[in-house]
Amino acid sequence: MSEEILFKTIKEIPPVDYYVSGRRTCAGCGPALGYKLVAKAAGPKTILLGPTGCMYVANAHQFLTSPYALPWYHAQLGGGGAAGLGTAAGLRALMTKGKRKKEDINVVVYGGDGGFADIGLAGLSGALTYDYPRLLFVLYDNEAYANTGVQASSTTPWGAYTTFTPWGKIKRIGNDRLKKNVALIAAAHPGIRYVATACVSYPLDLMNKVRKALNAGGPTLIHLLVPCPKGWFFDAKDTVKVGRLAVETGMWALWEYDHGKFRLTVKPAQRKPVKEYMRLQGRFANLADEDIEYVQKLVDQEWKYWEEMDKLGKLILPWAR
Amino acid sequence: MSSARVKPLPPELVAVPRKHVWHGARAVAEAVRIADVDVIAAYPIRPYTGVMNAIAQMIADGQMMAELIVADSEHTQFEVAKHASTVGARTFVGSSGVGMIFATEAIIVTALAQCPVVALAGCRALDDPGNFGMEWNDVLTYRDYGWMISWPMSPQEALDATIVAFRVSEDPRVLLPTFVAVDGATVTHISGPVLAPDEKRIREGFLPPYKPPYPLDPDFGPVTKAQHVAPSLIGPEQRKCIDVAMKRAYKEVIPEAWKLYNEVAGRDYKPFVESWFMEDAKYALVTMGAYTINAIAAAKRMREKGVKVGVVRSRYMRPFPYIELRQALENVESVGVLDFSFSFGSPYSGGVLYTELKSALYEADVRPLITNFLFLGGREPSVGHFVKAVEIIQKYAELKRVEKNVHWLTLKGEDI
Ligand SMILES: Cc1ncc(C[n+]2csc(CCOP(=O)(O)OP(=O)(O)O)c2C)c(N)n1
Ligand code: SF4
Repeated sequence: MSEEILFKTIKEIPPVDYYVSGRRTCAGCGPALGYKLVAKAAGPKTILLGPTGCMYVANAHQFLTSPYALPWYHAQLGGGGAAGLGTAAGLRALMTKGKRKKEDINVVVYGGDGGFADIGLAGLSGALTYDYPRLLFVLYDNEAYANTGVQASSTTPWGAYTTFTPWGKIKRIGNDRLKKNVALIAAAHPGIRYVATACVSYPLDLMNKVRKALNAGGPTLIHLLVPCPKGWFFDAKDTVKVGRLAVETGMWALWEYDHGKFRLTVKPAQRKPVKEYMRLQGRFANLADEDIEYVQKLVDQEWKYWEEMDKLGKLILPWAR
Repeated sequence: MSSARVKPLPPELVAVPRKHVWHGARAVAEAVRIADVDVIAAYPIRPYTGVMNAIAQMIADGQMMAELIVADSEHTQFEVAKHASTVGARTFVGSSGVGMIFATEAIIVTALAQCPVVALAGCRALDDPGNFGMEWNDVLTYRDYGWMISWPMSPQEALDATIVAFRVSEDPRVLLPTFVAVDGATVTHISGPVLAPDEKRIREGFLPPYKPPYPLDPDFGPVTKAQHVAPSLIGPEQRKCIDVAMKRAYKEVIPEAWKLYNEVAGRDYKPFVESWFMEDAKYALVTMGAYTINAIAAAKRMREKGVKVGVVRSRYMRPFPYIELRQALENVESVGVLDFSFSFGSPYSGGVLYTELKSALYEADVRPLITNFLFLGGREPSVGHFVKAVEIIQKYAELKRVEKNVHWLTLKGEDI
């Protein structure tokens, strides 16, 4: 991996976009912003694939609009891993057999947490055991099935309201499961070259991770946190702010696992209280102070591990009880 | 090194291709090699598995070059094939029984997205309970979604049908996937003499590389495909495209393809319907697949007793060759449909082939009597069962009416 593939400052980012106007996403949509940044970093020699979700339904619409200035194809909700695999296999077969010009082509699958953390997890995992270079899976995590009207996924945080985990007269807590860490699952694949977490509020960090992933020499995964104003109940103008707070409070750790080496890529000097993040969002509105204290405790515990890992440069398993 | 004393063989003798003894799965693998397939996705379930075993060995031995994806499930398998097809790769996949059903979503979108994937369906009974016997319902689940379904009856024909499937599927007038449905065990696992066509002749004269009209490729330019559709804008029109493609396959492309294949490979297949002893037949058994051979044996036995019975076999389920079947049956009084499929609660609680044929013959000038014989649950029928079927349709012809529409001939208990 050569250093010149990375952007040192925001000014080096090319002005050309590959995810453009003509979409129908909500104002302030985090996943849409993520799409733009990921496509920009990947560049023109890229095929985009989109499993079912907001980034399918709310983007291109037959005969009306398509925001993709790159080849784009839909994959079934549970088929993101397979779609990337099939596309990469097709390209390699055609190139090996001389049926198509040899060239580096990126295959980027941009799938939601429903698609990659739940229904398509097996297919994603299977794809990560292969050796196709330039095959990147971006899990855009809005922590819900947003397109079907906001239901809980296995990455929905503890306490969050969704239509499948509402609070009610006798139930105070919304979602009572803990968030699944798909990036760590990806990192558990032997031989995986690059895994990272990212957040749309840190565009340079995200774009450089996309570049590193595509140049890593094998299938890779980026678990990207993307605030969703509709599902999280916050003001559309606050998307970037909410994402920043996720990182600043430690609710979302930014790290990479690059050829076996672990590193925190953004280290909040002093973590802000999680309350600042949670109180900004309606989905946590029902939580009492003691519930937020509980989340704070979880985050504090988790961070001991992140910091230890950063020091050792190695992965160790957090949450072992 | 040639010795001066040994005369070289004349070239026409050298060129005679060797006959192999292969089971159906092995023969289909040979077709996949000859077709120069680019991407193959495998996941095990019997009885189809043998085809992937054979392909994997060929790749390991350097006899063919392809990306072989060992998938984590059938859903992945069929999605891999679909997406490899979008970039212009020729793709092969397959499954059996519940495996295929697990991939249903991916199977359906493959057709609706018009990706010309070819899949082997090794027909197997569906769970629950687990049953290794042969039934047709696994592949017939996809009767209504835009897949062509061809139904060879022997290892030889399975090989030929697979090669032809690629040509028909990839024809720009069609662009629909094909299931090559072979009867589990009776075709997949039974060995027979197989004559493989010359690979060079096939690749040059019959099956050029697949060229999708709008490939997913940055060099081709940005295309946005399979995006969300507005029912009000192109809902019915999108379905109509599939309908038109299927009609073209029926009227033009399948007959043309078999005609050319017969020339290139030295065969004499009729595209849609085959008949035995039908010239003067009063009664006919209608079949698909491997048990046609048993039906012919039963008909022969009855002919020896003076019963004028013949056999008609459909080589396709989709497109359903209703015109050819009508022609083949136009002079018979009584028809018996040998059916390994079922549609519980359908008219008369019969099989799928039966219901289809009945509806095909509704427009016939003279409608024959039609009786359904069901062979369900994977239990193998014998020639004796088919003889019994002939006796029943003969009796109905004499009575001039069908007494009982559906008979479960291999059932142990009472057929009520
Ligand atoms: C097999 C299947 N089950 C259910 C659906 C319905 N569905 C459409 S979009 C969607 C939500 C996907 O959620 P996610 O992957 O998190 O993406 P998001 O909508 O949040 O962008 C669901 C469940 C589907 N399309 N396919
Ligand atoms: S619901 Fe959320 S993810 Fe979906 S378009 Fe709106 S903001 Fe984006």
